[in-house]
Amino acid sequence: MRYDDRHTLPDKQLPYGVVVDLTNLSKNKVRKMANSELRCKSEFHGAVIQGDLEEQDPSILFPNIPNDASLLSLDIGGTLVKVVYLSRHNTTCMKEWTKELSDGVSSNCPILGGLLHFVKFETKNLDECIEFLQSEQVFLGASSDLCQSVGSRKSIRIKATGGGAYKFANVFSERLGVTFDKMDEIASVVVGANFLLQEIDHEAFTHMNGEKIFININHNDLFPYLLVNIGSGVSMIKVTGNGKFERVTGTHFGGGTIFGLARLLTECQSYDEFLELSQHGDNRALDLTVGDIYGELGYPKHNLSASAIASSFGKVNGKRKLTEYKIEDIAATLLRDFTYHIAQISYLVATLSGLKRIYFGGSYIRGHASTMDNISYGLNYWSKGQIEAVFLRHEGFLGGLGALLSNENIDVDDLIPCKFIKQLPSGISTVRGESQGVPHGNLSEKAGLHEEVERLRAEVERLQKDNTMLNDKLEKLKNNDD
Amino acid sequence: MAGPREDPVLENHDIKEETKEKKDKEEREMAPSSANPIRRSSSRPQLDLSGAAIQGNFEERDPTILLPNQSDDISHLALDIGGSLIKLVYFSRHEDRSVEDKRKRTLKERLGVSNGNRRNYPILGGRLHFMKFETNKIYECLDFIHSEQLHRGGMDSRCWHSEPPANENAVIKATGGGAYKFADLFKEKLGVGLDKEDEMDCLVAGANFLLKAIRHEAFTHMEGQKEFVQIDHNDLFPYLLVNIGSGVSIIKVDGDGKFQRVSGTNAGGGTYWGLGKLLTKCKSFDELLELSQRGDNRKIDMLVGDIYGGMEYSKIGLSASTIASSFGKTISENKELEDYRPEDISLSLLRMISYNIGQISYLNALRFGLKRIFFGGFFIRGHAYTMDTISFAVQFWSKGQAQAMFLRHEGFLGALGAFMSDEKHGLDDLMAHQLVERFPMGAPYMGGKIHGPPLGDLNEKANPHMVAFSGIPQISWMEKFVQKGTEITAPVPMAPPGTTGLGGFEVPSSKGDTLRSDASALNVGVLHLVPTLEVFPLLADPKTYEPNTIDLSDHNELEYWYTVLSEHLPDLVDKAVASEGGTDDAKRRGDAFAHAFSAHLASPPSFCKGDLHASLKRLENRGSLRLMEEPAAYGKLGLANLLELREECLREFQFGDAYRSIKQRENEASLAVLPDLLMELDSMSEETRLHALIEGVLAANIFDWGSRACVDLYHKGTIIEIYRMSRKKMQRPWQASAVKIFHAMRSNYVWAFVYFQLFPCIQVDNFDIFKERMLGSGDKKPCSHRRALLFVDNSGADVVLGMLPLARELLRRGTEVVLVANSLPALNDVTAMELPEIVAEAAKHCDVLRKAAEAGGLLVDAMINIQDGSKENSSSVPLMVVENGCGSPCIDFRQVSSELAAAAKDADLIILEGMGRALHTNYNARFKCDALKEKLGVSAASFAPAAVAVAPGTASDAAGPAAVEEKTEFDMVIEEVPSNARIATIKAVRALTNLALKEAKDLIEGLPRKF
Repeated sequence: MRYDDRHTLPDKQLPYGVVVDLTNLSKNKVRKMANSELRCKSEFHGAVIQGDLEEQDPSILFPNIPNDASLLSLDIGGTLVKVVYLSRHNTTCMKEWTKELSDGVSSNCPILGGLLHFVKFETKNLDECIEFLQSEQVFLGASSDLCQSVGSRKSIRIKATGGGAYKFANVFSERLGVTFDKMDEIASVVVGANFLLQEIDHEAFTHMNGEKIFININHNDLFPYLLVNIGSGVSMIKVTGNGKFERVTGTHFGGGTIFGLARLLTECQSYDEFLELSQHGDNRALDLTVGDIYGELGYPKHNLSASAIASSFGKVNGKRKLTEYKIEDIAATLLRDFTYHIAQISYLVATLSGLKRIYFGGSYIRGHASTMDNISYGLNYWSKGQIEAVFLRHEGFLGGLGALLSNENIDVDDLIPCKFIKQLPSGISTVRGESQGVPHGNLSEKAGLHEEVERLRAEVERLQKDNTMLNDKLEKLKNNDD
Repeated sequence: MAGPREDPVLENHDIKEETKEKKDKEEREMAPSSANPIRRSSSRPQLDLSGAAIQGNFEERDPTILLPNQSDDISHLALDIGGSLIKLVYFSRHEDRSVEDKRKRTLKERLGVSNGNRRNYPILGGRLHFMKFETNKIYECLDFIHSEQLHRGGMDSRCWHSEPPANENAVIKATGGGAYKFADLFKEKLGVGLDKEDEMDCLVAGANFLLKAIRHEAFTHMEGQKEFVQIDHNDLFPYLLVNIGSGVSIIKVDGDGKFQRVSGTNAGGGTYWGLGKLLTKCKSFDELLELSQRGDNRKIDMLVGDIYGGMEYSKIGLSASTIASSFGKTISENKELEDYRPEDISLSLLRMISYNIGQISYLNALRFGLKRIFFGGFFIRGHAYTMDTISFAVQFWSKGQAQAMFLRHEGFLGALGAFMSDEKHGLDDLMAHQLVERFPMGAPYMGGKIHGPPLGDLNEKANPHMVAFSGIPQISWMEKFVQKGTEITAPVPMAPPGTTGLGGFEVPSSKGDTLRSDASALNVGVLHLVPTLEVFPLLADPKTYEPNTIDLSDHNELEYWYTVLSEHLPDLVDKAVASEGGTDDAKRRGDAFAHAFSAHLASPPSFCKGDLHASLKRLENRGSLRLMEEPAAYGKLGLANLLELREECLREFQFGDAYRSIKQRENEASLAVLPDLLMELDSMSEETRLHALIEGVLAANIFDWGSRACVDLYHKGTIIEIYRMSRKKMQRPWQASAVKIFHAMRSNYVWAFVYFQLFPCIQVDNFDIFKERMLGSGDKKPCSHRRALLFVDNSGADVVLGMLPLARELLRRGTEVVLVANSLPALNDVTAMELPEIVAEAAKHCDVLRKAAEAGGLLVDAMINIQDGSKENSSSVPLMVVENGCGSPCIDFRQVSSELAAAAKDADLIILEGMGRALHTNYNARFKCDALKEKLGVSAASFAPAAVAVAPGTASDAAGPAAVEEKTEFDMVIEEVPSNARIATIKAVRALTNLALKEAKDLIEGLPRKF
């Protein structure tokens, strides 16, 4: 399997990185969501693919979840709302459970397990998020009965983190009747990251020169590490243990800066559109390189090669107007230079804190190959190969996940790896370790890639049809048996 | 009369030369005329505006013969050719005046200074000039170099009419990108090659030089306030140098020539400018910066409050106004680029880049454990707001642990470094005490701004080649100056000081249109290198020594002094013009001087007496006084510097000595009554005599040209009358408001008698202590001092009737006396070259003085003896005269002449006299030996029945190192103060106590009161 949906999916309005288990969604709900441009990714139709190694933010299957756990959490950031929620396997039990919840009577009905879902919305489109949550399938354990049956909505509390947990508390209270249990943002991010790194295999990976390699984390040797959370801004957190962390510093120079400038300079409407643009651009049109100043030899005295960027946007001169520059070049420059930059600061902070490992998370990485390559390259450059950038598949949901897990009823320490069944596709053993992403800057492959995705998509549809057909046959056979 | 080559600006060396010339002449004549003892002006250059006569350039003459080991093709010029600016540093030298006069020879013998012991200076003093040109006006720069013949080692003024022989091998040190780009142009136009120097080497060399050689080079800039930082030269390294050009280089500097580029970032000035150009329609960097002043970044940046709904994320210390994400707000708004104000965009960009640079710099400093971060580079260019944001960022990220520092000459680091890279001129180990920074008359017009050739440099030369070369018609620099001066009658309105600050990161304050982008433009003066200057060896602690008693960074102080200087200006101009015979030429120069000095003060050029006050008021209302608005534009400006600025300005306009005739008259008058005074003194008992002597010094010193009251007084009578009057009124306990401070410093005593007000009411003095030290008490006879340094002040009664009799008394007691006088004229202060003649005249009436003067080599008659090397003369106690190396009414003991330093080695008594030397400066100075500071000040209300008296009570003879500060010891009585003397009184009180201004005001207003 070779595809990268980030760049090729046409649905630019899609809430980013949506992974929705739609099996339980009624048809009209699907339509409703589609109308509100909240379309799901086609390849995740049905329960067939709930996650694979290429997937960003795959669902996580929880075989056993205490029944009184909070089932939904929100991380409302400056740019994105990240929703993490749990869907139950056993809908019967679920119904009982939600009924009990609404009745206020505790029951011993065991919950057999659930799927943890990760959904994103843009903060500016908060209504979409609220609508989505209103679809009872998602809200509170995907129980359609709940919203109708629960009279006293006020009693529902949701774990929420991020600045929006404060800013939009009233909105959610009015519209959904839920109260936010405000969780500390940094603490949540750390809980989420620790959980993922400790409990989920194939969560962490490196990404160099287009090559994605999953790494095994020794759970006993996880700490300390630097967690760089690239959201609108960037937070850098030194994590020394479960629940032990310190926000070392941060920078205002984050995803919001890249995208914000991109919005102004390229008029692209979404970050994905911007990322797509950047794939086709060349930063050398705008960047002033050492070679531009000192000639082809660079400045060897101070170890600066001719291709090193001396000054971002330094080549821009007054003679050319904004419109005379290719927006692709602008996008490439923005992305490349500013991700390098984040890598540099991360390196400096890691060195100062005496940390050897840096994990990158945050919504702005977006599983984007170039972004990760740039960060890896930058880190490698500044640390002279001493520090490797490691990324997380659930990068954007650290806070949301952490908030969910921060429920005092879920003791993260008790969750041992065997309790989780990772949703892995059948092909796992064969794809592992192979180059999965798009090699950075290899544009000639782009066209082929697109075709391949289309081909795969067709394949999936064909297989789904086959599956349905086979199921039908099976039913018939069963019936015949009966 | 003066030939065209006469150097119009008097430098120390020039002065010595002049003394020598004068001496020689007098020796030839063999008749030191008592009738005209201070005739010294015949050799003054008279300014001839008709062109060639002003050819005597300001800068130097005949430099090529100065360095014996130097070949002609070494230039004293270096260039840093950047993308937008060409920075030029050049050095002009003084001539070697190795011929010594007899006084000096005797002095050297006495002081044990031989030529062999003296340091061998590789260079002989000169000036370092800093210039800027716009790169796109490179021809102006070429013209300038050509006209000054800088590429040939400077202009030999004697042969400028003949083109010097071309030297094919001549090279100029150059750095910056343009060193490559324009190499051919230089070869073609000037016939010189550019010797390219590594840019980073140059930056570091330049920074090292500046930080070591200039005392107040580095400053911090927080919330619009500059504060100069004195860096200990021995503790300079290591430091972090952050050069913000297109990109940012972060350099760790470990020593001279030892550095490493440890980091950098590609988000630098080029990014700001590049993005700025794409996002706004700005045509220039400055325009973009200008825009940022009026921006509001909240429209663009996502703040913590935007995410948290106006709340702050206090848990990790982020306030609501902290920028969470630069440009983050543009994501969620459906606006086009056109919908945003360019001002807001510019501000957001500026903050994005500056904060980021601040952060990376801080992180690197932390990484290498460096305490100091210096910022430089074209991105900063003295722009207040940029400096504020960087400072703020460093402070923010470091949680106040680190401070960003900037350099006044930051634009010249590269050029200076290129200059230093030429090892042959041996300027590497210059120390701060050898450099004096002076601000030439054009400074207010040019300071901090890009300019072409300075006024008075290009055109005055009247070099036919130059004119042909540049096609610029020849006009008089003076005309130009005066014209220029009139143009600035309406200064650009600026914000009053203190309001230009940025609220910082926290409150994105965007100050309105009142803030000028170059509001913090720094004036870069000319560095005068005087290798013979040294630190006064008797300073108790040279490191903590601060000459200025008054802190001019205090706005009220500055206002006061501004007023004093402005009010005094018309009178000074009158005197200056009169001193030159009141010719039309002198009048024009007087006008020009007034323009220049007013420009420094940014007072209106129309200073006419009548409406001065009105003009001042107007200016104050507009808040546009340059010095008041931007005191730091001149570096850390002390009162001493301010007063010297005025003297320097006078000299620049070729007023060698504005008080010449007045001093002469006063001296003559005083010398006439000296015999009577000496007779009267001799008739007294020892104790009475001592008393009378001290009284006499005080009484004679009352006259102070710096004081308006004195000037008024002077118009009513002669100084002798004043002296008589004051003597009469002075009855012990002195009927003067008196201040005495008795410092006990280990076993050494420092006496300070400081008197304010002449006729009032307070009778406190510490004469008894002084008397005891001089005469002993009871049977104990104290041993006499070995050598006393008498720092003399004014001409006339002060020196003749005050100091000379005191000197005579000391000589009688077997104490060697060294009269220390100014090297250059300042107000009516007596100068070192006038003193010998005064002494010689006085010696006619007194044997003690005569013998001592002979022994000190002051009398021509005695020369023969000295030349014979007869030792019997050395048995008589000598009276000597040394120059102090200053040309100001104040003295900075960090920079005194080597002569004085040598004389001080054996001295055990220092007597400082005068307002400038004992009060405005050095009031708090502590010395290794006994010191007596005397000043009788006359306030604006001199003869009004009001008084200020501030007196520390009896001596705190314990070893308290700073008895002055023990307020409990102060016995202070102040009676009614007339309103017109209020400021002066408040100042006096403040100078002597630790009271804050407000308290002092309250104190004055609540009179009469005793406490």
